[in-house]
Amino acid sequence: MIVPYGNVLLLAIILFLLGAVCSISRRNLLMILIGVEIMLNAAGLAFVAASLKWRLLDGQAFVLFIFAVAASEVAVGLALIVYSQRRTGSLNADQYNQMKG
Amino acid sequence: MKTILFFLLFFPFVGGFILAVIGRYLPRRVAEWIACASVLGSLLMASLAFGAAGEKRYLLTLFDWIRVGDLSASMTVYYDHLAAIMALMVTFVSSLIHLYSVSFMRDDRDYVRYFCYMNLFVFSMLVITLADNLVFLYLGWEGVGFCSYILIGFWYSDVANATAGRKAFVLTRIGDVAFGIAIALFFLILDQLSIFSINSKAASLSAGTATLLALLLFWGAVGKSAQLPLIVWLPDAMAGPTPVSALIHAATMVTAGAYLLMRLFPVIALSSNAMVIIAAVAAFTGLFAALAALGQKDIKRILAYSTISQVSYMFLGIGAGDVTGGMYHLLSHAFFKALLFLGAGCVIQALHEEHDIFKMGNLRQRLPAVFWLYLVGSVSLAAIPPFGGFFSKDRILLSTFGHPEPIYKFLALIAEIGAVITVLYTFRMFFVAFLERPSLQEDFRKKDLKIPKFMVWINAPLAILAIFAASLNFPEVFGGKSWLAHYLASIPGGIPLSPASAPLERSMEIGSGLLNIAVLIAAYFLYRPEARFLGRPTPVVFRQRLEELLSSGFYLDRLYQVALVKPYQAMARILWLKVDEGVVDDQFDATANIFRFFSSGLQLWTTGRLSTYLKMLLLGFTAIVSALALGWYYLR
Repeated sequence: MIVPYGNVLLLAIILFLLGAVCSISRRNLLMILIGVEIMLNAAGLAFVAASLKWRLLDGQAFVLFIFAVAASEVAVGLALIVYSQRRTGSLNADQYNQMKG
Repeated sequence: MKTILFFLLFFPFVGGFILAVIGRYLPRRVAEWIACASVLGSLLMASLAFGAAGEKRYLLTLFDWIRVGDLSASMTVYYDHLAAIMALMVTFVSSLIHLYSVSFMRDDRDYVRYFCYMNLFVFSMLVITLADNLVFLYLGWEGVGFCSYILIGFWYSDVANATAGRKAFVLTRIGDVAFGIAIALFFLILDQLSIFSINSKAASLSAGTATLLALLLFWGAVGKSAQLPLIVWLPDAMAGPTPVSALIHAATMVTAGAYLLMRLFPVIALSSNAMVIIAAVAAFTGLFAALAALGQKDIKRILAYSTISQVSYMFLGIGAGDVTGGMYHLLSHAFFKALLFLGAGCVIQALHEEHDIFKMGNLRQRLPAVFWLYLVGSVSLAAIPPFGGFFSKDRILLSTFGHPEPIYKFLALIAEIGAVITVLYTFRMFFVAFLERPSLQEDFRKKDLKIPKFMVWINAPLAILAIFAASLNFPEVFGGKSWLAHYLASIPGGIPLSPASAPLERSMEIGSGLLNIAVLIAAYFLYRPEARFLGRPTPVVFRQRLEELLSSGFYLDRLYQVALVKPYQAMARILWLKVDEGVVDDQFDATANIFRFFSSGLQLWTTGRLSTYLKMLLLGFTAIVSALALGWYYLR
């Protein structure tokens, strides 16, 4: 491994935080979804790095699962977003407050 | 023979099936033709089977149905002379009534539903008629009950009709339970569900078991045939269309109870106690229903009570050990009662749904054809010699009277009184409805009375049979052949000759014939058009009370209402309000309230804003991961 393990982990952490901040601070549903995607990929990166570090293929297999989950999540999420846009005419997350208890 | 019986049984089923599946997409004429053709096909098969069978009896398995361990319920047919006669009668009357229905239902849009259920009814009735296996028979037994229920409530948009249907269903169910128990007992005790084997093994039953089985079977028959404790559903069942009343509630289904006892007569015959009970219940039912018929105003309710009363004569015949007499009366009753009902249907339709006989009148000139048909039916019902009803009823009275046990003399007397009242109520209905009455309002008399001619002349075969039913079994003391009695001699309990001695038979038949004619004349003076008390309210309180008593059927409905329905409702109310709502529901409410109390603080967090949730999610996730990391670090 050319790149030190710590550096990759640092990058993963930075990416994860970026994604988290993105999905929390933005109000647009699309941006929230992108934030979630970034977090998923950050986790994937950490897995790949760990897998190389410990010489175990399990981590890479997990990354494949994460790809699959991410893809399906995007498919469902985008469909929901399109539907929400049609229904309310807006993508502002704070508009969806019918669930208020 | 197997093919013939198979088609005899399944023609109506196929007809009903076709109508149920694609009936709505067929043109009206085609649907009606399918319905009629399937029943007519059955009639043809019944005649072929009758001709082909000759003196032989057939026990044929059509196919297996249920087979579990020792229990086998196969679709087995037992075709003996009793079944042959019954199958002929059922298919014949059903055919005529199907044809009549085409006319009767000409303005009804729900004809597919109607004909579908009618066909299914005929199928179920034929199953009862032919089935050898008791479970198979039970299928038909419940089938006719279901079709009866659905056809009573045919015009379900009127709540009263639907209620009448439910009432009939629930009350017949009371009887069916006993029949079900009897079937289970047969299987337990004899290891047999086949009527043929049960009858041949019946002698091995002990007296007590036989009494129990006979009474259970009788109780089942009581429900189906509306005998004394379970009378009340039949008069209400008149809410259905008139051809339905004619087919189901006069000619076929209500006689199924009597037919069942005839089929299993060897079991009944083992227990003289059960026979006495059957005969006693029958005799009292006959008198009871005849009296109640005397107080009715609705033409169909009169006929309904009269059906109850006539069916009870069949049971009396069975109770007296004279299956032939019972079957003979079943046949002649089927013909004249179907005729009367179909005639009443003509009258009711011609008078625009008028059921009250006191609002009819003058029908002799307005519907002359119906007048004559109805007259034939009436004299037959009233057992005026030489019409069919006379010989059949008299044979039953005679065998009751001739029974060696003394109590039967008393029962015969009661039945004879019932027969006299039959003449009275029949001709009360006939004279009031058909003769001209000046007191009738003019506007009603001028109304247009138009019914299709077909509806009238389709009754002619029934009228002919009602007239000539006597020749089926003309007693030998009067030089007859007793054809039916000889034909039925091969079935268990069939007695070719009436048990009484010839002089007794002759004197009794002449005596009761003359008595009936005398009562007929008396009825004319009582109910003739000029009779003074007709058409105006009577001032005497006693008479009013009496009329009320009779017209309500001796308050039997009210008794059941007070004694059974009200307590049941009160119990259900207590269970509902006190137990279900008071204990069970309140308990859950209290539990829920506790949770609500504790969750009222958390409620503030649910802002409904997605961003807040996400923040909380991240916060919570961070907290958990930190806790795990700390724990891992310190506890390692």
